[in-house]
Parts: sequence; structure tokens; C-alpha cells
Amino acid sequence: MVTALELAESVLKRLEGRFDDVAVLVRQRDYVMVKLWNTEPSVTQSWIDAKVSVLVSRNGRVFSTELSVSDPDAVDNALRNVGEILTKLEPSEIYAPLPEPAEFKPLEGLVDQNVLKAMEEPGKYVEEMIDAALKEGAERVAGTLVFGRMTKALATNKGFRGMEEGTEVEAYLRAFKGEFSGHWAHGSRALDVNALREVGRRAGMYATVTNSKADFTPGKYDVILSPLVVGNLIDAIGWMSSAMAVMMGFSMFMKVKPGDKVGSEAVTIIDAPRDTELAGSTAFDDEGVPTKDKPIIKDGVLVNILHNTGTAKKMGTESTGNAGWLFPTPWNLHVAPGNVKSEEELISELRNGVIITNNWYTRLQNYVEGIFSTVSRDAALLVKNGEIVGHLGRIRIADRFANLLSNWELATKETHKIRWWEVETPTKAPYVLIRQVNLTKPFI
Amino acid sequence: MTSLDEGLLQWAVDKALEAGASYAEARYQRDVTSGVILRNARTVGVGSEVREGIGVRVIVNGSLGFAATNTLSREGVERAVMAAITRARATASLRKTPIEFSDERVGRASYEVAVKRPLGDLTAETLTELGKKLTETINSSVKEVKVPAVMFQAGTRLQEKLVINSDGAAIHSVVPRVTAFINFVLAHPQKGTLQRTIEKEASGGAELIDSWRLEEVVSEEVRNLEKVFLKGVEPPKEPIDVVVGSEVVGLLVHESAGHPMEADRILGREAAQAGESFVKPDMIGKYRIGTKYATVIEDPTIPGSNGYYLFDDEGVPARPRYLYKEGIIYEPLHNRHTAKLMGTSSNAAARAMDYASEPIIRMSNTYLKPGDMSFEELIEDIKLGVFIKSYMEWNIDDMRWNQRYVGLEAYMIRNGELAEPVRNPVLEITTKGFYSNIVGVDKHLRFYPGTCGKGEPPQGVPVWFGGPDVRLAKIRLGVIA
Repeated sequence: MVTALELAESVLKRLEGRFDDVAVLVRQRDYVMVKLWNTEPSVTQSWIDAKVSVLVSRNGRVFSTELSVSDPDAVDNALRNVGEILTKLEPSEIYAPLPEPAEFKPLEGLVDQNVLKAMEEPGKYVEEMIDAALKEGAERVAGTLVFGRMTKALATNKGFRGMEEGTEVEAYLRAFKGEFSGHWAHGSRALDVNALREVGRRAGMYATVTNSKADFTPGKYDVILSPLVVGNLIDAIGWMSSAMAVMMGFSMFMKVKPGDKVGSEAVTIIDAPRDTELAGSTAFDDEGVPTKDKPIIKDGVLVNILHNTGTAKKMGTESTGNAGWLFPTPWNLHVAPGNVKSEEELISELRNGVIITNNWYTRLQNYVEGIFSTVSRDAALLVKNGEIVGHLGRIRIADRFANLLSNWELATKETHKIRWWEVETPTKAPYVLIRQVNLTKPFI
Repeated sequence: MTSLDEGLLQWAVDKALEAGASYAEARYQRDVTSGVILRNARTVGVGSEVREGIGVRVIVNGSLGFAATNTLSREGVERAVMAAITRARATASLRKTPIEFSDERVGRASYEVAVKRPLGDLTAETLTELGKKLTETINSSVKEVKVPAVMFQAGTRLQEKLVINSDGAAIHSVVPRVTAFINFVLAHPQKGTLQRTIEKEASGGAELIDSWRLEEVVSEEVRNLEKVFLKGVEPPKEPIDVVVGSEVVGLLVHESAGHPMEADRILGREAAQAGESFVKPDMIGKYRIGTKYATVIEDPTIPGSNGYYLFDDEGVPARPRYLYKEGIIYEPLHNRHTAKLMGTSSNAAARAMDYASEPIIRMSNTYLKPGDMSFEELIEDIKLGVFIKSYMEWNIDDMRWNQRYVGLEAYMIRNGELAEPVRNPVLEITTKGFYSNIVGVDKHLRFYPGTCGKGEPPQGVPVWFGGPDVRLAKIRLGVIA
């Protein structure tokens, strides 16, 4: 079997004389996912495939394609008319020549052999998660456990060659007790059985934290957001920090510029591709630019918009190593921790307010204004005098991202590695206390 | 004529049965997309994508396994078959009850959506020209505001499927689609910004692009939205009659009738992802969710629709399903697994996004049944009300009960007529609150396209949702914070 880099080079060889720029990106994967339903597996899914992405340009005219094939001839065949197509296009507004190769520092420790072994026996790890939730008193669970290996290789006609292989673990569990539920998630490059147990334990803990219900009146509340909720909302902000989102009118950063204050001093959000604990880690981006960790927001100030070489040229700056040929994206996100020693201490600081432990369905009325809402799921808890008094049911945060960032006050010292259905970018996030958040619920 | 030898799929099915599967299915799927992206009338990206491969699904020792590969040789397919079997077998001991499928009369058929003009007519050049024209139309339709960003995306999608299973199904289908997406931002120094997305998508050929009359649609929307943006007032605070436009109704029935009536959600299979449902098995055929106007139909067989298919990915023939019928929760969407669990037959709701996705229960084209009134008749006796014509922000909880739609183009209704524009009215309502407050529907059934997300890994499938304009009695609207 050819390696991903050999495949990329083989495709490159067929194309490089015909275009000004050629980049070939190959991704090969072997993944297994066990999905749980009513405390038992509903399906075990596997993916063993390859994807070849090709970028070509001539005279500033750019064409990109993505093919789920493993055969260089098939790629060549699929691209046989591209030369003619290019002659009919206008130059791309964001064209920049592919960069000359720079030396990149490979990342160590992206592969955990234990993950490779676990792929053939996922059942026992599923049981660990289930047991931990049931021990907390949960009646039933649903969730997902993923083990996988991905190889990425890039070859460009400017001479860049890079290949890296990484493993991945993604685990999340939702635990139910009666009408209440709790949820937790974990994402990493390495297998950590204790972290999987913790997924079950925390899901079970939130499902059983109280049997009481509390009344809810819409209004402004001081709110603690769990790392899952922080991860979901920061995912949206991370996406909007892409230069392409800004250019297209899909970003709250369209009206500001680096150096502008966008939040309280407690807010620091970092794009962290060099963090090898998280599955988005990579040493080079899709154009072969070496990656680096960099703040998007530091101490409440917007520092970086994320760029590839094309968006960077358009905006008169340098690539940040976040290509995406068309759309730059964050690799991993870090939300800076605070000084609060524990979740209990954060609840004491909250004194009166709401804890939202999980959310989904974040949608925006207006990206430029950052007007959004998102719905709680699982435990949303009312806190009175520092004590949890009951479940509020499903409530909604309906506010502006600018308000959330401005009223961001405290965070726990500990961060959690989160990845799940609603947190697509691997993220490390703490619990965060935000003041005066607008919460709503239907009138009828 | 299929793009893949049917024999390879049959060989995969036989191989799986030999290896101990009690059910096996092999699906070849090829999805070819191409298109352009423009920003402010300038090309940003031109590209294409081909997803082609085989997905194999097996039941072995009562455990369900799925594996996908794009190595279309016997060696590659055998590797996928064995991965599906061995990895499913490895978790079989955790199952308390075996997974079984309902008995169905599966089909052997081949069908193709006929086009008037081939998709190939929509070249990058043609679509780029259209994007430029539309951007020009937007810029020339505004009077006082600026247009800092226009995004235009358009393209074609061609989907071919060939499904073979061990129960004798052999279904080949070819469905072409055309898609267009326009987003624009209006800006004013004092008023801030307003943002709107317009989407079109349907099955058919290149002829669709002209049939959408995009320049006309965009020009009218921009002119109306500028008025809403500059002159829109807050909606009244007291309960009033609210007329919900078909665009909002379509999304609303998708979210609050379609999703909660997916049997896999009712039974909990999506509990950790898209969630469960307020609908419980004992409510089916009995529970009243709304007035006599609450009839929601799910129909994959509508010609030209975005969610079009005649057989599902388990080989079961498609037909219209009544999710809610005259206010009663009526018929959930089933695949062969949930049908077996609930003691009924599949109604052909199994769809897979691509070769690498397992077939799961999905909507196709979901709509609220229209009536026979005109829009004028629907609003003629409303003294004070609000008409919400379009939306941007929406969401719904994981039980499909508590939902929110934020209006974009909206108007006051005064003495039976549309009056001044309203800015950002918020309809935040429960499912029962909506369906049990419908007091009238007009005759204008309109459909809107969407990409419905569900499953793990998430699968986005093309759907339509629609309905007439709907009148609700005495609803309290909110405003954005």
C-alpha cells in the first residue's frame, strides 16, 4: 500500500508541469465509532478510506477539487478538463502564489499505540463509560466512542513535502435519570481510561445532581457555563475569526480590527495547533505554512484574524498558518483558565444565578452584530445563596456575543479537553462565570 | 447504466453472509458537486468534489455494523466487509436484545430524474456571470444603506446510488440537483447592520436556475428589507394575532413535526446527539397536538423536490406519510429497524448522505397542508397583528418542544391590511402552543430548501420544507435583547 505522501507526490508529478501552482493534500483514515443507545450499542461504524484534495492555478485563476479516491490515475482523469476551465475563469480575488517551503518543526507524540489497539476492542472502553455513569445513579445512557488514526500528507510544486500521522479519541455520554439528564465529553489524541470514566461520571453526576425543579422567569441572570457550553460558543467565535468569514459578512469581527477591545480582561482565546493533546494538532497547514500557537483574543483585545496566504495578501498581512485553501480555520482552541480553585468555589462566587451544563443549536440572527441564541439541554440549574435548588428545564441564551465577552468575569483553574457533536474544534475550556446574560423561554 | 458493476456489491453481500451476517447490504454511492463562490461580484473559489465509495451494513450476532471504503476493488471491499463484521461482533456481547429488521417487500428498480437542460450547462463561467448580475441587482436596489458584503454561491450536485441487500433489493437511482445561496449585509451608520440569506435548491436540471427568477426575488427582498431596517418598529407587547409566513411555517413543521416524528428519536437512538422527542410511542394515533388545521405531510415522491426519492436506502418503496393528521399525532417516520421494534412496517425513511454514512431515518419534503383562503382573506378581520414573512435565527430544544424563530421581514397588520414594517419580532413558542393556536391557513403552499443535519458523524441531506401562511390567535411576541 502506498503512503499518503507517495500518493500525494504521484498526483503532483502528473500535474505540476501544467499549472503555476499545484498542491496535493491526502488524508487517509481508519476510524471506528461505537454509538450507544439505551445503554447498549446501536451501531459500530468503520471508515477505511482516503481523500485527495488538489489545488491548481494558472495566471491567478484557481480551481480546487476533493476526490474520495486512492488512485493517482483517477485524480488525473478527474482533472483532465481543468486547464480548459481555468482559461474561462476570472482571477480569484484571494489568489496568492503557494508559499515557498519553510522548515516546519514536526510535532512529537501524535500517535498513541494504545488507541490503535483499542480500535479492535472498543467494547471494553464503552463499558467503562457506561459503568461510571450508572454508578452515579443514572438509569440509562446514550453516547459515542471514537478511536481513529488519520494520516495527512501535503506535496506542493514549490517543493513542500510533509506527512504526519495522528490518533484520536472522542467520547461523549448522555446519562438519564427520569426526566433529567447530564452530559459530558472528552477529546484527545491519546487513550486515557480515567478520562473515559470521567465522561460517564460527570454525565451521571449532572443527571442526578438534584431531583427538584425550579421555576424560571425570563430575564438577565449571572450564569456559569460549563466547558461544553464554553466550547460550543467559542467554536462559533473561532469560526468567525477566519478572515474569510470576516470578508464574507459572516463575522462579528467585521466591525472591529486587531487591537480593538472586544471583551473583558478575563477573556483569552488561543488557536493552539501545537497542543499535541488535542486532535486538531498539526505542524503545517494546507499550504505547507508552519503552524504556531497564537491568541485570537488576549486579555479582551482582538489580536489575530486567522489567515491563509490568499486572505493574508488581500488584507495586507502574513498567513497565520491556518489554511484551509479557501477558508482559514482554527486547529485547536484554548480558553484561558482563571484563578477559581474549583467548580464549587465558582458556584459560591455566583451566589444567585443559573448553571448551564450543556447546549446545542446555536444560531445567529446577524453574524456582524453577533446576535445569537442557543438552547440548553441536560442540566440547567438554578442557584440560590450558593446552593443548587433545582432544574430549570430547557432554557435559551438569547444575547450578543459582545455582551458575553464583556461580562465574562471568572473562570476555574482547571480546563477540560472537550470534543463532541456540538464542539467540532477540539477545545480546552474551563467553567466560566458571565454576568447579566439574557435567558428566555417560550410564552406558551 | 450504473457507474459500478452490480456484481461487486452482490459479491460484498454474499461475502458478508458467508462470514456470519444474518443481514447484509452494500450501497455504492457517488456524489459529484461543483460550483463557484463569489464575494462582492468577484470570484473567490471555483471547485468540485467527488465522493465515491461503498458502504456496507451488516447484522451479525444481533449487532449492527457499518463500514465504508473508497477502494473499489474486491480487496478493498472485502476489507470493509470484514471491518463491519469483526467490529460489530466485538460489541455484540453488550447488546441485551438482538437488532432485527422488519420484513418488507423490497424493490428492484432503476429510476432517474429527467432534466430539460443538462447540469453541465451551468458552467463556472455561467454561474459567475449570474453571481455578478445578482450582486449588481442588490447594490442597485438599495437607496440609503450600504452593502458591505454579498456572498454568492451556486452549483450542481449529481447523486447516484445503487443499493443491493440480502433480502433481494436492487435499487439504482440518479438524482441531479441545482443549488444557489445568496447572503447580503445591509449597513447604516446609526442602525447597524441587517443580514439575509436566500437559498434555492431542487432536483432537476440547469433549467431550474432561470425558473427561480433570482434577480426579481433578490431585488424585491432588498427593497423590502431596507424599509424594515430603517423604519421597523418593535412588535406590540400584548398578545396579538400573528400570521406566520410560509417560509417560517416550513421550517417550523420540519423542526416541530418532522424531527419529533422520527421513530429513532422517539426510541432514543439519537439521544446523545440530535436528542429524543416529546412524542412517546403510546401517543401515536391518540394525542391531540393541535387544531384541525394541524396536518403535516412528509412526502419523498414530490417531483422536482429537493428530498426526492422513490425507494429508500433499505430498498423500501416510498410514499407520503401523515405525521400529524387534523391535529392528531399520526404516523412516525420508520426504517426497518424501528418498524420492527414498534410492530409495524417501514415507510421508507432510511437515507444516507454519502457512501461513508449509514442509512438513518430522515425527512424528505415536509409541509403543512394548505387551505383554500387567499392571504387577504386570512388577514381581513385582524384588527391588530403582525405578519412574519421571513427569518434568520432559529432553534429548538432536543425534545422538539421549545422553539424560537426571529423574524426578519415583518409587518404590522392593521384593520385587515399590511401596515408599517416590524423589526426582529421573536416567536418563542412550544410545539403544542403553535399547532393548537392555528385558526386559519391560506392556499399558498410554498417550499423552501434546507440541508437537514442528523446522525453521528453528522449527515446533511437535502430536504424541502413548506406550508401556507398560517394565522395564530393571540400570541405574545418577544424582541431580541
